[in-house]
Amino acid sequence: MDFDWLFLAEIVLAGLGAGGLYALTGLAFVMIYKATRVVNLAIGEMLMIGAYLCFGLATAMNMPMWLAILVAVIGSGVAGATLERVAIRPMLGESPISVFMVTVGLASILVGVVELIWTSEPRRLPEFMPSAPVMIGEAFVPPKVFYGFLVAAVLIGVALAVFRFWRGGVALRATASDQQAAYSMGINVPKVFSLSWTVAAMIAAIAGVIVGAVGGISSTMGVFGLSVLVVVIVGGLDSVLGALVAGLFIGVVESLAGGFLGGEFKLLATFMILIVVLLVRPYGLFGTHEIERL
Amino acid sequence: MRRTVLKSLLATAVLAATAGLPAVQAADKEIVIGGSIPMSGVFAFAGIGIHAGIQDYVKMVNDAGGIEGHKLRYVPEDSAYKVDQSVAAFKKITSQNKVNFYYGDSTAFSKTINPELDRAGTMIMSGASFATELNDPKKYPYQFIAGPDYTQQFGILLRYIAKEKPGAKVAFVYSDTEFGRDPIESSRGVAKEMGLNVAIEIMTPPGAVDVSTEIAKLRRARPDFTIFHGYILGPIPEFIGQARQLGLDTKFMGTFWTMDNSTVMQMGDVAEGFMGVMPYNYYYDTATPAPMLDKIRAMRPEYQNVPYIQGFLSAMLYAESARRTIAAGKEMTAANFKAALNSIENFDTGGLIGVPITIHGNTIPVGRIYRADTKAKRMVPASDWIVLE
Repeated sequence: MDFDWLFLAEIVLAGLGAGGLYALTGLAFVMIYKATRVVNLAIGEMLMIGAYLCFGLATAMNMPMWLAILVAVIGSGVAGATLERVAIRPMLGESPISVFMVTVGLASILVGVVELIWTSEPRRLPEFMPSAPVMIGEAFVPPKVFYGFLVAAVLIGVALAVFRFWRGGVALRATASDQQAAYSMGINVPKVFSLSWTVAAMIAAIAGVIVGAVGGISSTMGVFGLSVLVVVIVGGLDSVLGALVAGLFIGVVESLAGGFLGGEFKLLATFMILIVVLLVRPYGLFGTHEIERL
Repeated sequence: MRRTVLKSLLATAVLAATAGLPAVQAADKEIVIGGSIPMSGVFAFAGIGIHAGIQDYVKMVNDAGGIEGHKLRYVPEDSAYKVDQSVAAFKKITSQNKVNFYYGDSTAFSKTINPELDRAGTMIMSGASFATELNDPKKYPYQFIAGPDYTQQFGILLRYIAKEKPGAKVAFVYSDTEFGRDPIESSRGVAKEMGLNVAIEIMTPPGAVDVSTEIAKLRRARPDFTIFHGYILGPIPEFIGQARQLGLDTKFMGTFWTMDNSTVMQMGDVAEGFMGVMPYNYYYDTATPAPMLDKIRAMRPEYQNVPYIQGFLSAMLYAESARRTIAAGKEMTAANFKAALNSIENFDTGGLIGVPITIHGNTIPVGRIYRADTKAKRMVPASDWIVLE
C-alpha cells in the first residue's frame, strides 16, 4: 500500500495550526515569567476570561464581533493589570511557591466568576472567520485553524518587534535580565510588572477568542493551559524563542501521534517529550541555564 | 431563681416532647427522596434542570394528596459534580433522614456508593448516569437508569441507520473518558449484527480543541453516518463544520447529553440535520397527547431542558415504586422497591416518553431519533419510538 503523503501533509499542517496557538499562549506565559518570575498557572483561565468577555459583549450587548474582540482584549488587559496589582504585587519577595499557589487560587476564582456570570453550560462564539475551505496544494486546512495561525503569527511578530524596539519592551527585557540594575538605571520596575501582566492578558485574550472560535467555550477550557505549560517548560520558561519553537513542535507531535497512533496517544506523546526534555535539559531547550555557586 | 430555671426547663422538655409527637408521626408517613445534585460546577446546567424536575413532581404529588397517605419529601444537597462531595452529601442526608430513594449525579458516584446501598437495603437509586455498567441487576441490584443506557442508545441509533440504509458505513467518534468509551466496544458487535460496517473509530483526547487530524481520518473513511459520544457540545460543531467544508456526505448523530434543544441549537448553522437519540419527549412536543407535559408547561411556561424531564421522570418512577410497594402492604425496603419498579409494565408516563414503558432490568430501553430543524429552532422527530427487546 502506498503511503498517504497527503494525509501526512494535512496532519502536519493541522499540527502547525494548533502549535501556533500554543506558541501564542506560551508567549503570554513567558512574558509574565520573564518580567516577574511568576509561574502563572492561571494562564488557561485568563484565556478563558478573554473568550467569555468577547462572548458576553457579542451576544448580550449585541456588539459586532470585531468590536467585541477589541473591547474584550482591552478589558482583559485591564483585568490583567488589576490582578497583578491586587494579587501578585503584594506577594513580591515571598517564596516562589506562595506566588505559584496564588495563581492556582486565581485560576479557581476565574472559573467561579465565569460560572457565576455565564453558568457552566458550554457555549459557542458567534462565527466571525471566513468559512471557505483553504487548500494548500491538495491539502485541506480548516479555515479557522488557518486564520488562527495567521493571527498568531502576526501577533508573535508584533510582540517580538515590540520587545526589540519599543522602550517599554526594552525596559521589560532589562528588568528580566537584572532587576537591581534596571532599578538603578531609572526603570520603573513595578510599572514593568504591571505592563507584562497587561500585555500577557491581552495576548491570552486573543488566543482565547481563537481557541473558543475553534473548539467552543466552556468553564473547563482552561485545561488548554496545561498543554501550554508543557510547551513553556520544554521551550524554557524564560525564552520567547523557546515558546515559539516548542509550541509548533508540540503541536506537530500531538497531531502526528493523533493521526498515526490514535487520539489516546496525543497527551502521552506530549508528556513523554516533557519528561525527556526535563531529563536532558531541565531548564528547557532554550531556557537560561542558571548556575548557582554555593 | 432556681425554681424558675427548673420550671422553664420542664416547660421546654414538655414542649419538645409534645411537638415531637406529631413530627414522629409525620415522619412515619413520608417518603424521602435524597439527592446529590450538581447544582454548581461543570455539570450545573444539568443539575439545575434535574433539581427543578424532581421538585416539581414532588410538589405535584403532594398537592394531589400524596401517595397512599404518604407525603413525598425531597432533600437535595449540592455535589458540585465531585465524587467526594456527592458521597459527603449522601452520608449527611441518609444520616439525618430515613431515605427511600436517592438521585446520584455521576457514574463514579453510582459505582462508589453501590456497596453502601447494598448494605443499607433501605433505598433504591437512579441518577444522571446512563453508564452501561450500571445496567447489571446482579451487580447493581438497587439502582436503575431512567432511560436507555449508552449501549442501548447506540443500539437505537444503529437500528435506525440499518433501516434507513442497510449495510451503511458508520463512524464512532468519542472522547477518551469513561463516559466516551462506555458504549464503543459493545456497540461494535451490535453494528455487526445489524449488518452495518463500522468504518472507523476515532478517539479524541479530553478537552481537545482542534479536530483537523480527526477530520483527515474521517475524510478517508467516508462514513454514511457518524455517531458522537462522550461530549456535550465541543468539539462537535467544529467537526461538522469542517466535514461540510470538505463536502463530506455523512449524517452526524449524538447521544443524550448532546441532545438538549438548547445545546444543539448552539451549534448554529451546522446543526441543521443533526440527529440523535432521545428517550423523552421534548418540553414543547404537542404532536401526541401528553398530560404530564401539559402540567409541566402550565407550571413553567419557559422551556425546560431534557435533564429536567429526566429528573421529573425519575421522581415519577420513585413514586410509582413506592405506591406499588405500599399498596401491596409490603415493607418499604430496597428489595421491595426494586421489585415494584420491575413490576412496571406498559406504564403510561403521561407522555414524558411517547410509548408505555416496561422496566425489566435496570433500564428503560426506549428512544426516538430526532433531527434538528434550525429554522424552527427545534428538534423534530425523525422516527417512531424504538423499543429494544
